[in-house]
Amino acid sequence: MERRDFLKISALTGATAALDACGSPDHQLIRFVPEEDLIPGIATWKPSICTLCTGGCGMLARVMPGEAEVVRRGQLGLLKMGLAKKLEGNPNHPINQGKLCPRGQAGLQVTYHPDRLRNPLKRSGPRGSGEFQSIGWDEAIKELASQLSPFESGKQESGFAFLTSPLRGQRANIVSNFTAALKSTRWIEFAFLDDQTVRLANSSAFGHAAPPTLDLARSNYIISFGADFLSTWNSPVAQSVAYGQMRQGRPGVRGKLVHFEPRTSITAANADEWLACAPGTEGLVALGIAHVIISENLRSASAAGAAGNAIQGWTGGLAEYAPATIEKQVGIPAARITKIAREAAANQPALAVIGGSAAAQTNGLFNALAVNALNALLGNVGKPGGTIFTPPIPGTPSNAAELQGKLEFDAFLRQIKSDPNAVKVLFLYHANPVFAAPASLQVRNTLEKIPFIASFGSFIDETSAMADLILPDHSPLESWLDDTPPSGSAQAVVSLAAPAMSPLHDTRAMPDVLLDLGHQLGPDAAKSLPWKTYDEAMKAAYGGLQKQKGSITAKDADDFWQKMQDQGGWWSTEENSAVPTTEKNSTPPTKVSAPQFDGDASDFPFHFLPYASQMQYDGSLANLPWMQEAPDPLSSAMWGTWVEINTQTAAKLGIRQSDLIEVASRHGSLRAPAFLTPAIAPDVIAMPVGQGHQNYTRYATSRGANPISILAPMTVAGTDSLAWAATRVKVSRVGEGKLILFGGGLNEQPAEIRHR
Amino acid sequence: MAHQWGMVIDLDRCTGCEACVVACHAENNISTVGADQAARGRAKHWIRVERYYEGEFPDVKTKFMPVLCQQCGNAPCEPVCPTFASYHTQEGLNGQIYNRCIGTRYCANACPYNVRFFNFYNPVWDKPLNLQLNPDVSLREVGIMEKCTFCVQRIKAAEIQAQSEKRDVKDGEIQPACVQSCTTRAMVFGDLNDPESEVSRLARSHRATRLLDELGTAPKVTYLQRDSWHDGQDV
Amino acid sequence: MTDKTSDQINRDLLNPLFETSGRYWLVLSCFVAIVIAAVFAFAWQVYNGIGVAGIRRPVFWGFYITNFVFWIGLSHAGTLISAILRLCNATWRRPVTRCAEVITVFALSIGALFPVIHLGRPWVAFWLIPYPSERFIWPNIRSPLLWDFFAINTYLIGSVTFLLLPIIPDFAVVRDRATGLRKKIYRILALGWSGTPKQWHRLETAMHIMAIAIIPVAVSVHSIVSWDFAMAPVPMWHSTIFAPYFVCGAIFSGIAALILAMAFLRKFLHLEEYLLPIHFENLGKLLLVMSLLWFYFVFSERLTTWYGNESSEMAVFWLTQTGRFSPLFWLMVFCNFILPVPILAIKKLRTIAGTAIASGAVVLGMWLERYLIIVPSLSRKYLPYAYVTNPYKPTWVEITITAGTFAGLIMLYMLFSKVVPIISMWELKAGKQHVVAGTVPLIAPAKEVEAD
Repeated sequence: MERRDFLKISALTGATAALDACGSPDHQLIRFVPEEDLIPGIATWKPSICTLCTGGCGMLARVMPGEAEVVRRGQLGLLKMGLAKKLEGNPNHPINQGKLCPRGQAGLQVTYHPDRLRNPLKRSGPRGSGEFQSIGWDEAIKELASQLSPFESGKQESGFAFLTSPLRGQRANIVSNFTAALKSTRWIEFAFLDDQTVRLANSSAFGHAAPPTLDLARSNYIISFGADFLSTWNSPVAQSVAYGQMRQGRPGVRGKLVHFEPRTSITAANADEWLACAPGTEGLVALGIAHVIISENLRSASAAGAAGNAIQGWTGGLAEYAPATIEKQVGIPAARITKIAREAAANQPALAVIGGSAAAQTNGLFNALAVNALNALLGNVGKPGGTIFTPPIPGTPSNAAELQGKLEFDAFLRQIKSDPNAVKVLFLYHANPVFAAPASLQVRNTLEKIPFIASFGSFIDETSAMADLILPDHSPLESWLDDTPPSGSAQAVVSLAAPAMSPLHDTRAMPDVLLDLGHQLGPDAAKSLPWKTYDEAMKAAYGGLQKQKGSITAKDADDFWQKMQDQGGWWSTEENSAVPTTEKNSTPPTKVSAPQFDGDASDFPFHFLPYASQMQYDGSLANLPWMQEAPDPLSSAMWGTWVEINTQTAAKLGIRQSDLIEVASRHGSLRAPAFLTPAIAPDVIAMPVGQGHQNYTRYATSRGANPISILAPMTVAGTDSLAWAATRVKVSRVGEGKLILFGGGLNEQPAEIRHR
Repeated sequence: MAHQWGMVIDLDRCTGCEACVVACHAENNISTVGADQAARGRAKHWIRVERYYEGEFPDVKTKFMPVLCQQCGNAPCEPVCPTFASYHTQEGLNGQIYNRCIGTRYCANACPYNVRFFNFYNPVWDKPLNLQLNPDVSLREVGIMEKCTFCVQRIKAAEIQAQSEKRDVKDGEIQPACVQSCTTRAMVFGDLNDPESEVSRLARSHRATRLLDELGTAPKVTYLQRDSWHDGQDV
Repeated sequence: MTDKTSDQINRDLLNPLFETSGRYWLVLSCFVAIVIAAVFAFAWQVYNGIGVAGIRRPVFWGFYITNFVFWIGLSHAGTLISAILRLCNATWRRPVTRCAEVITVFALSIGALFPVIHLGRPWVAFWLIPYPSERFIWPNIRSPLLWDFFAINTYLIGSVTFLLLPIIPDFAVVRDRATGLRKKIYRILALGWSGTPKQWHRLETAMHIMAIAIIPVAVSVHSIVSWDFAMAPVPMWHSTIFAPYFVCGAIFSGIAALILAMAFLRKFLHLEEYLLPIHFENLGKLLLVMSLLWFYFVFSERLTTWYGNESSEMAVFWLTQTGRFSPLFWLMVFCNFILPVPILAIKKLRTIAGTAIASGAVVLGMWLERYLIIVPSLSRKYLPYAYVTNPYKPTWVEITITAGTFAGLIMLYMLFSKVVPIISMWELKAGKQHVVAGTVPLIAPAKEVEAD
């Protein structure tokens, strides 16, 4: 591909650093004067923030002096500078408490990635061809400003749109203000893993449109419905830290985890009981448990308050959800549901949580409301050991809830499809819908219609490859960062970090570019974006925290600002997990709804469950070599995709381990090798999300298959979220395939492997 | 008394997340071998998380077990190395002297835990990934065997620091990369010669077992088996 | 044996040294080409890294160690024939001794290359030599690989001595026949031999001492090689049977190699009158005994493993009995037992052709046996997560080097036969006089001085 050739040529100066026994000195490279004072061999630890998932963990980066090959003022040379060598969790940070997940550890490879964009680029060939030429920043910003100038003084709803990943903190603020300054309401936040369903359910049940924080550490009984909280859901590290406590952190007390999910996710693998319920029936199970608790007078139905009232039939005792009645539908013996219900009631505090595929069915909202009602019934909401909500940050512009993108991605696409002239200029930032949205949505064709696209991302991916202009952001370790994590802590948290190292390449902080552009726009923009740099913006925004009861005592604003940087943020010292509302709900109670699936069961006999993979998450981390080579915890697969299929099902279809199989929905098909496992329901096929990139650095390009591509464009009823668990597929063997597995035998007793 | 470094891994806490695996790569300059070489069995994961299934659907239980060099007290890899590249240190570690290794790979065959990894080629880092390399850990060339060292560079650094401050190393002061990153605090590291250290205390648990104990390797890693749940109402 | 005069013997056996056919050069160049290819393959491996071979985790040893054990094993041919048969006064051994000793020396030299070939860093192989280094460090005497180093070197020195000593009188004969440069070379090689009784006495004494000394050396060499495996706690390696099992296997493969070598020499050097059916019959009987002994060891080991039912051992056991390695295993049993035993036991089948076929099968079978000891066990040690579904696949590098060793042996043999008479002339003559009587004194009588 020409794109790759270009990148190869532009990395000519880079080549590879191979272990050369003889060593060959770089003859031609001059040495630049160091920009910082450095003592060789001495490490300093600088706070930073992990931005790779929704968790928002606080980190410490180990920075040591080293020599980097950099380009300064167009000249290649060696520069002695502080280099981040290792990332660890910040022990004082309330979210992760000194721990870091494998993805966080791999953040270093973003900064040092060989294919990271090093300077602004302008498209020089047809769109999508990957032909770019390097340009300077002045030219790039001038071009942007000229593209934007029609909008600032225009009428309502200009042709400007900003497509980003979900943003928090002042970044969200600036993007919001910027978009508004350009007379646009089109700020779209896109992510494959979005938590809108859970937020809506929490809003309805508890008055908080926010993801839950799970006080697992003090819980005795946890019922999880599809929420892979130990791996990729919500705030994985915070939840893992608490999980460890729950298991063995309290002398003589060990909590129990029960997990309902059609496949064994990592969380299911750690559960004391894993029960494979039929896809989409999680809400029924939750209500079945609630029924037992109510009917056996273990707790009173009114304890559930507004959350209970959100379910039709709650006050009637939920007779239609008795385990014996729903047994067949959910595929779990009634006796087990009853037992779990009794155990939960007897082992307080008990909590329930929903996420993952359970919330990504067409009836996901119903499922979530059902689980919330169960939670409330168990009496744990807002209490120790239960479901709590991270308090809002005092004294600052409120958190992302209000600043959320005002336009949904689906609606955005529809607008362009119905009126190709609706959007003239599109800014991209860390969103990759061409990869992470189903092919049936035709994202690429739709975005093609937009005359001018600019990207601020650090990499060429499927979506940014369509850009006309690229203005690469710094990597996170080189940036001023802030974060306001909406869950994972009982305290309000504002993370803050100064850059841990100087920029390696000729990149610029995206917020700074926006602020720069803002100054070139009219007076309205200047009013809403008065700051020169991002740190100035953050200092202004968070200065008010000084007066709040928190982790920092300071003598003045400057002192506070410095201490906030040194500690990696500010957090309140009050545990103020908000209490749920108990008034009646304004929305009418939800009826049970059965899940709808795309494709009829006779033609498409299997449920298709894509899942966020531990290493590549939603695909955004497939470009990191450590994430490609780290074995997947369940399959041990590396550098590729696999399809999880039940061992017995595979035998019936004549499929053996690593055989290439075709998985086809009504909207497309893909091929990948089969991984046989007993730990998945016989009528379910699962695939990790992450691979199948057509264009995403040398490590991920043309590797594996992307399950998102064949998903049906179903929506979670009552929301705008993609119901990504609602597709049905058929499966057939195509031929021999290849799995790169690190591990071998599946069972611990070797005598059972005879004759294999 | 000299330290005897040991580790406890609580399998009831371990979730199989593999933070330890990636943290180890980052700390110890372990090169990525790429898809082709990984397919040929050359990937080097000094610590790995073994995953086992028990039972048939629908009653399947999954077990995770992180396996790293057990720093055996009676290591089978030590007598067989013809050049003393594999040797036992005074602090109970199985040391690997990279520049003494001639690459017979006998030690890897003798190791019952399969925790030794070989450099089949010279390792390569696509620039500028090499800037991430830890200056405290040597790079290994082709033909050299490598394995977990309990992050001996961190142990040495802490001991030197303690010595310069005229004190002893405190319990919990040394954390190998895996232990430090482990999200559930499943891994604990410390001095087995100190009966009050956390690692000693945990090693005395009723759930304590050792991997392949019956082979007589005297491993320094103690595994705490998964605990069972007791219904509160039965109490 | 038809009665031949000393003259005739000299003429027949020295003929190859003085006359070479075109066909010889053609065939030799083929084998030389293969050897050069093997050298290139090794250079490729050193330059690129040993990753070009097929070894992987956890099967860290493959073709190279198979070859190592195989060739060291093959080298027991000479020990058995020259030493044991010599001490047992087996008269029929006479035409056969040098063939056997040559196999020993060359096979041993080839085998001794492999500890260097299989190293990850062969350029520091010299660290195995115990020398006072500037780093005050010596090799580790507890390591079986160090024992290999000493044992193989000792055996090599012993075998070379054992080979060269009895050639001296024959060098003298060649010296007397040759002219020009050749005469000068052979004069040096003959070390001033003039056939006096005193010299004969010394020679015979030396050979007697060597014959006794080389036997424990040979036994110890292959026991030590077997301990490379038995000393490691690997399922189905860690077995006390390994030392005698390997020694038996070594002698077994050695005899087979010898029979093959003799069959080819007989045909290509026209030694029909010297290498007689009785020689093949007797060696065939020895081969039969070794085949039965080999089977006894294998059966015994397998029975005890199966009966013991230890789980890690059984995981490996079934791999060879019914699993992925079973085709090779049963082929090995066919080659080492099922095919040779009837051929060698039934007198009618125990012809030159028959024994040669049986021997060819045994050579293949014994190579397979080494392979099947190494690879299945390493692919399944104790932790099932570390089992692998594709344990080992040799690459062109390993295959070329393996082919190169076989070609190398033949090449060296061919070159040797042009430089030294392949049958020991003086021993033949010494024996000829007492064939009818059936006894051979340990000390040969005074050599007849040829009047030619």
